[in-house]
Amino acid sequence: MGKQTKIYIIILVFVLYFFGMQGVTKAAVQPDLNFYKGKLVTYIVATKPGGGYDTYARLIGKYLQKYLPGSTVIINNVPGAGHIIGANTLYKAAPDGLTIGTFNTGLIYSQIVGQEGIQFDLRKFSWIGKASSETRVFIVGAKAPYRTFKDILESKEPIKMPSSGVGSQDHNETMILAYALGAKFQPVPGYAGKEGEMAIIRGEVPATIGSYTGLIGMIKAKECRVLLQFGAKRTHAGLENVPHISELKVSPTGKALINLVNNVDLIGRLTAAPPNVPVARLEALRYAYKKTLTDPDFRKEAEKLGLDIDPAYGDEVKKMVLDALNQPPENLKLLKSIISQ
Amino acid sequence: MSLWDAIWSGLAGVLTWPAFGLMLLTIPIGLIFGIIPGMGGNMGLALLIPFTFGMKPLEGFAFLLGMHTVVHTGGSIPAILFDTPGTGPNAATCIEGFPMAQKGEAGRALGAALTSSMLGGIIGAIFMALIIPVLRPVVLAFGPPEFFMLAMMGLAFISLMSGKSLLKGLMAGGMGLIISFVGMDPQTGIVRFSFGLLQLMDGINIVTIVVGLFALAEVIDMAIKGGTIAHTKSADIKGTGVWQGIKDTFTHWWLVIRTSIIGGIIGFIPGLGGDAAAFICYGHALQTSKRKEEFGKGCVEGVIGVDAAHNAKEGGALIPTLAFGVPGSSGMAILLGAFMILGVSPGKEMFTQNLNLVFSMVWILVIANIIAVILCLPFAGPLSKITFLRTSVMIPFILVCGILGSYLTTSRISDIIITAIFGLIGYGMKRFDYARGPLILGIVLGKIAENALHISLNLYGLKFIFRPIAFIILVITLGTVLYPAYKEHMKKKLAEEGR
Repeated sequence: MGKQTKIYIIILVFVLYFFGMQGVTKAAVQPDLNFYKGKLVTYIVATKPGGGYDTYARLIGKYLQKYLPGSTVIINNVPGAGHIIGANTLYKAAPDGLTIGTFNTGLIYSQIVGQEGIQFDLRKFSWIGKASSETRVFIVGAKAPYRTFKDILESKEPIKMPSSGVGSQDHNETMILAYALGAKFQPVPGYAGKEGEMAIIRGEVPATIGSYTGLIGMIKAKECRVLLQFGAKRTHAGLENVPHISELKVSPTGKALINLVNNVDLIGRLTAAPPNVPVARLEALRYAYKKTLTDPDFRKEAEKLGLDIDPAYGDEVKKMVLDALNQPPENLKLLKSIISQ
Repeated sequence: MSLWDAIWSGLAGVLTWPAFGLMLLTIPIGLIFGIIPGMGGNMGLALLIPFTFGMKPLEGFAFLLGMHTVVHTGGSIPAILFDTPGTGPNAATCIEGFPMAQKGEAGRALGAALTSSMLGGIIGAIFMALIIPVLRPVVLAFGPPEFFMLAMMGLAFISLMSGKSLLKGLMAGGMGLIISFVGMDPQTGIVRFSFGLLQLMDGINIVTIVVGLFALAEVIDMAIKGGTIAHTKSADIKGTGVWQGIKDTFTHWWLVIRTSIIGGIIGFIPGLGGDAAAFICYGHALQTSKRKEEFGKGCVEGVIGVDAAHNAKEGGALIPTLAFGVPGSSGMAILLGAFMILGVSPGKEMFTQNLNLVFSMVWILVIANIIAVILCLPFAGPLSKITFLRTSVMIPFILVCGILGSYLTTSRISDIIITAIFGLIGYGMKRFDYARGPLILGIVLGKIAENALHISLNLYGLKFIFRPIAFIILVITLGTVLYPAYKEHMKKKLAEEGR
């Protein structure tokens, strides 16, 4: 064999080796469950104890222990700044696979707008999964004069709607939908928590947007009528015959904005880990999460607590988040201008 | 389920095991959290809530309410002994309670505080039960315009709490308002006064401030002055003991009832925040007292009125929490989180299907209050002797507990720094005779007042002032503020005419 041939062969071997290795690493990475024996996993919840995110985390954490044998999962509540402090804490935690966390998907809007205080990039989190899909509804008070959503769109006066504050998820959503649908929504900020619902019952304001599960008490008590739903589409208790936002005729930009809102609502109760967690450990977490969410006892307990379960896992969630954030630049500019009014 | 059945089955529910046992377990915990300055009841609730995961609703409520109900009772103890409130509302107990301790009357103050706490809690619970039939229309009658007027009424009471100098009191109140504005403003989304720090984005926690302003300031004062808290030699003077305090409470029974009802109402109205109840009732006790001059120097009526109110407000606060999921006090806001874990939803079903559960809660309030005071009274006498110890013995204890409490409330080191800063401010205020009560009142009411004002203007324009209930409250407020000035004026006129 000539010298040149030998060199070609050596290069060929290296190239084959290189590509071969790629194939090996991209093939099924074995989840490193052994790593978790005897270890403490911290589950950061970006809210105070009690309430939705905390309850989901405690239930999921309980079953994660079962599927990461030998591990103990503890909940660490890190509230503040509308979930930003908790998300920051998770982002900056050591990427050793021993810290995971949950926070509000509405931070997507906050990141788009460049909210002060954000120290994370949602694109870079190691995504483990999400537990539910939110259905959100547009309701009017029982005494309000609007019968269908068409009445709302055709209203001559602005529709006053309570919001917890400029920059909050409900406020952002209201502004985005107003723009997308060409509706005259006028948010009235300052209503924290359920005070907005009380305002509807009092007749102070005619309408509001909220989560279906959060408003179901009011809906069942007939204190309000549901005129529109968005996010995950449902047809039970009070939502039969309620149109879904995707059925409305809107401009292409409007459609893109509505898609964003729908997608954010579909990523409910997410769980993530800091960026750059070793692949085998991330796979272990994803494996345990998936087993948890499909465990029949888990499902039974969740139903008893009234927790909606509609899971998605790993890369699927990553894709949903990236799709929401990687909008065309004109859309991002438009969103920024709508939200920061 | 009929009302009568619900009341008795509610009681039966509380008296069963394990609910009763859980309540007995958490009452002492609540007292301890109350007694240790800074470790307020809200933190206790937050710590206990995870344990309720998996409990049945009644057990969960017995567990949580048993602790929560008695926190303010315990909190009066350090307020009286060391001028250091155990929880936010106890800051109002300090105003008269501590001067009483300085006069050597700590036992009397403790007896009065404990007894009126118990009676206030019971009356508040009864009030809650009685209100249930008319609950909806009453709660719904109060909206942002009414909240604003009530906040204004609360702030007007600053004039009553300012001690010798109205001007200094107003300055303190103004500072309180500014401090309450720190944080994210819901009207504009802009973060105010945060100096770029993420930790200040949610504003400053009231516990952090109270621990610094009272506990730390007191420690600094004690360290500089030395000596003992009580300025008299011994506690064996007649008419200063615990028993006298208990008798005083029953002597002023009408004051107890009035302040309990006012406290209950303030707790009952969502949006006002029950923390102001104690201060507002202090103002009321002062106004209606026949011994006004004694206020500020240690008048037992000031202790009675305040302590009845801060326990009564919890009974009132439970109502909007259960009926609408809107918390009537800061403690209720945390309790709401437990609802979800226990699988109970606030709303109409609570008062139809779960009415017995509601009455179980009323009974828990009553029974817990009674048990708490039975536990504390034997210790009141010995505890009052602490005021005759050298302060250098107590400084380390107060310092450690205060800082620990401040940190544990929010788990942020930055809050210890804030406590330290307020410690210096508090000492300065003591030294230069600025009343601290108005500062706390400004902090507690500032955000509520601002928010309510913006929403009222947004929804109704300036006409909101003329809504019936709002207008009535406005008239009462103006009357409260102007009447003493009018009386002074008339006195001077009569004095001149008599010359």
